[in-house]
Amino acid sequence: MTAVYPPDKHLLRDLRFSFEHDDEGRRSRAWMPVVTELCTDLGAARAGALATLVDVVGGGLAASAASPGWIATADLTVHLVRASRPGSVVEARAQVLRAGRTTVVIEVALVDERERNIGLATMSFAVLPRRDSNPEVTTVRQSSSTMALTGSRLTRPLTDELGVHVRDADRGEIDAPVSEWVLNSMGAMQGGVVATVAEIAAETALRAATGEALVVSDLYVTYLGFGRVGPVRSSVDVLGSGAGHGAARVELVDAGAENRQMTVVLAAATRELE
Amino acid sequence: MNGVDKSGSGRDVGHYMGVTMREVAELQLVGRANIGAHLLGPGGDIRTGALLTMLDNVGGLNGGLAALPDGWVVSTNLAARVVAPACTGPVRIESRVLRRGRNNVVTSMQIFEEGAADALVASGVLTSAILVPENGPPQWSRPVVLDSLPEVLQSLPAIPDWLGVRPAGDHELEIDITAETRNPWGILHGGVVASLVDLTAEHATAGGRTTDVVLHFLAPNRVGPVRAYARVIGRRSDGTVLRIEVRDEGADRTTALAIVTCR
Repeated sequence: MTAVYPPDKHLLRDLRFSFEHDDEGRRSRAWMPVVTELCTDLGAARAGALATLVDVVGGGLAASAASPGWIATADLTVHLVRASRPGSVVEARAQVLRAGRTTVVIEVALVDERERNIGLATMSFAVLPRRDSNPEVTTVRQSSSTMALTGSRLTRPLTDELGVHVRDADRGEIDAPVSEWVLNSMGAMQGGVVATVAEIAAETALRAATGEALVVSDLYVTYLGFGRVGPVRSSVDVLGSGAGHGAARVELVDAGAENRQMTVVLAAATRELE
Repeated sequence: MNGVDKSGSGRDVGHYMGVTMREVAELQLVGRANIGAHLLGPGGDIRTGALLTMLDNVGGLNGGLAALPDGWVVSTNLAARVVAPACTGPVRIESRVLRRGRNNVVTSMQIFEEGAADALVASGVLTSAILVPENGPPQWSRPVVLDSLPEVLQSLPAIPDWLGVRPAGDHELEIDITAETRNPWGILHGGVVASLVDLTAEHATAGGRTTDVVLHFLAPNRVGPVRAYARVIGRRSDGTVLRIEVRDEGADRTTALAIVTCR
């Protein structure tokens, strides 16, 4: 089966990523222009948006490293140390740390145009037997590419584009639909979007718990199952907080699929990054 | 396999930590440990490296039991957030399996301090890969009960001394691999790697305390010496974020990568 992925109107096009791969299949780079719609109310790119960039560049590189096998994302981590402001471009530099028989591990450095560290990310993948429905890596790995089409862009804040609905801020309960705009090539909510939903849930609960305008700086996302039906629903356990920081554990379930467990996330939040 | 193991069995790290474990239900394991003076850091509370080792011990065994009878597990990723310092103990380590897939097991763990009104100390997640050991997976009597050696908390050296940690630069620490620090498969125990990462973060930040760790185990440490290299990624209001790479210098390869926040 040859599927056209992503469709013309899709998150991965509207984020306007561009990519460049080396010939050895050990390194890739990707760029994301930061626009206001990607930012929190404090004016810096959401950790979830950067996680989506990491997910796409890391996933492409891992697929190449695992070829002819295919991959399933096991976990994704992002640690941010600097704010990315509208008008800037974030570069993600991915390299293969391990490409074994059963696992692939990728490290992704996030930097700005002045070579300053924005953050550091990692991803782990399980290596699986290839299915006919998996995309060919040769089509994924063009030397320089972008998924954006003419006119691709966000027209509303990311939270609105995702259709996030806050059910209970104190408990971090939010719903997000599984729309075509957010699907991955397997027909489930894309991994970076999952991270974004968890980020919004953690931010909502930690702000409610502390009364401070905290922003999520760290995400450790463990993927347990797909979200195919929706809505994807969160619950948050605030682990602890102090002056200017907090930590939370987020669980996501696919509420439309008998609350099938999807993801567990450890999140840390801090005051606005520099 | 049940009861008390003898020293040299590859379970010395667990004995040093003083962790006892009991399988309380299917896919659920509970560990307990007193906090000996040897586990405390400069601030008088238990070192994050010790907490990580306990999480790896309890979560790893729980994951291994979940993998039976097909295989056993090796830790691939350990992440933990330390929420509050634990000073008096005893601590209880609760573990439950979140997912048992074909290739891996994901285990959730939390540490509570029973001597401090059951306060949450740390929360973590361990991912383990399922493998089939050369001689088959270990045999266990179920439900599993593992007791520590009775003299475990007496006269034990502090973690840096026990591991024989030595500075190898302003941002580097090094250890040798000893019989005591190997696991039952003959490689450096994952908890020792976690402790080395914690101590290196402390060293590189001149006494900072590790509050958050993501640790990827990439390859086994078999030869040694094992050296950890720290690099500061950035500083923010809740601490310093470091990248710490662990290498088995004798095998000339990178064996682990950690991202650590130190306050």
